[in-house]
Amino acid sequence: MQLQIISNKQVSKDTYLMKIDNPGLFDAYPGQFVMMRVNNYNYPLLRRPFSIHDLSNTMDLLYRKVGEGTSMLSLKKSGDFIDILGPIGNGFKIKNDKKLILIGGGVGIAPLHFLKKKIDERKMNCEVYFGFNSKDEICVDYGNIATIDGSFGYKGNVVDMVKDKIEQNSLVYACGPTVMLKNLALLCYEKNCDMEVSLESRMACGMGVCLGCAVETKNGMNLVCNDGPVFNYKDILWEKV
Amino acid sequence: MGKSVNLTCKIANLIFKNPILAASGTFGYGIEYEKHLDLNKLGGFIVKGLSVKEKIGNKPPRIVETPCGMLNAIGLQNVGIDKFLEEKLPKIEKFNTHIIANIYGKQVDEFVSIAEKLNGAERISAIEINVSCPNVSVGGALFGKDSDMVFKLTSAVRKISDKPIIVKLTPNVSDIIPIARAAESAGADAVSLINTITGMVIDVKSKKPALFNKTGGLSGPAIYPVGVRMVYEVYNAVKIPVIGVGGIYSADIALQYMIAGAALVEVGTANFVQPNITEEIIKGIEEYAKREGIRNISDIIGSCCSQC
Repeated sequence: MQLQIISNKQVSKDTYLMKIDNPGLFDAYPGQFVMMRVNNYNYPLLRRPFSIHDLSNTMDLLYRKVGEGTSMLSLKKSGDFIDILGPIGNGFKIKNDKKLILIGGGVGIAPLHFLKKKIDERKMNCEVYFGFNSKDEICVDYGNIATIDGSFGYKGNVVDMVKDKIEQNSLVYACGPTVMLKNLALLCYEKNCDMEVSLESRMACGMGVCLGCAVETKNGMNLVCNDGPVFNYKDILWEKV
Repeated sequence: MGKSVNLTCKIANLIFKNPILAASGTFGYGIEYEKHLDLNKLGGFIVKGLSVKEKIGNKPPRIVETPCGMLNAIGLQNVGIDKFLEEKLPKIEKFNTHIIANIYGKQVDEFVSIAEKLNGAERISAIEINVSCPNVSVGGALFGKDSDMVFKLTSAVRKISDKPIIVKLTPNVSDIIPIARAAESAGADAVSLINTITGMVIDVKSKKPALFNKTGGLSGPAIYPVGVRMVYEVYNAVKIPVIGVGGIYSADIALQYMIAGAALVEVGTANFVQPNITEEIIKGIEEYAKREGIRNISDIIGSCCSQC
């Protein structure tokens, strides 16, 4: 569907927030994503997957300018139309018998922001830990913040920050760089707790057809688009990620 | 104006309502596209390449984007012929369109055994033999690069199948004409071309190939001129119909293939980007025909050649 961009603004170093008109024709839950076409011509060719950062009268997408596609996207103006497929995939499941902990790295905070909103709506509690490389990358105004260079909050990576916060009855929701997720998986195995991770992958279609977003799991070859993007961390063969 | 255009096309005894097919490997088993378009409107669709047994495919990363294209090394992941017949086919039989089975094997007897199983599947209109998938080192490409092997393979399948046979050719050869002729003389009813072009992308930071499989097949708009050229060459070298495939994303490109000599065309990678693109292309071809005063779309097939 062709939806109108309401605003598209830089919110921190290399990170942008795009608000898109939500005509009220679809609902979504945290962890789901959309496939966005950057242009209506052939370069860049493929749609890009973006997690839903928030959904109200606008659908919000938080993205990092990393390549040519996202650079073009960052130049889109309010009033432009953008082609979107979705929402797609299996999201996070909120449980009320656990200590909920949200852990995000960089632009991986995108789906966790939407998740926190849903947790708040249910009047439940959660702890929030976000990690960035440096102060100028921070694009949230809540949660416990870690920066690698120590320019804001805890000095170090977010996994080190949460080492003594995670307990056996914790349910961790995580999204971020692969290294962060791997280290978190190790930590969660040590603590013997639950974790749902949102994985990222290159994909061409987002509808289970191109088979490009394969991820090796204990249940065989899965697809990030159809079987995820949110997985139980114990199903993932981490040595293959 | 206002007169209806005859979009029908023919291969062997099969009449297609229009020349647009969805290409194997880009259309799943068809059912995945049901919510995006009316499959009854297609000339037909070709299901994901089927092997004797289920295949889990290559390790990731499997795809990487390139300028106006993509490189893939999926490794022919599919459910296998038995599961296809039991679980997938019943879900797509209701569609009033031609369903074509693309088949793949590591040796001739595997192709034969899949084709034999398809004999009992009435709704499978035709078989497309994949001799050209470049990704599995022990498979496809070895057949498709050698005209004798293409002849032997096509003959073997011809012997046990009454269904129309399409041989899908690889462009990764120095001369495609002897290969197309080998398929024709072995009894193929059509050839389809081109499959993907072998390519490679390297990540300069890690100095590693972007794909786990190192090389992959290039598809998408970037490759269409190569396909059009090869269809043009093959059309002038064989008598059987040629099916054009490679980078088709608009009616204009589909028409280029037809004018070069394609009786039908397959739309591939564009299905990923715009799931209802096949419907748009059919509309575009009809509009072109009306605009140009063409009554039968088949009149344009190979029409380039009379002027050049």
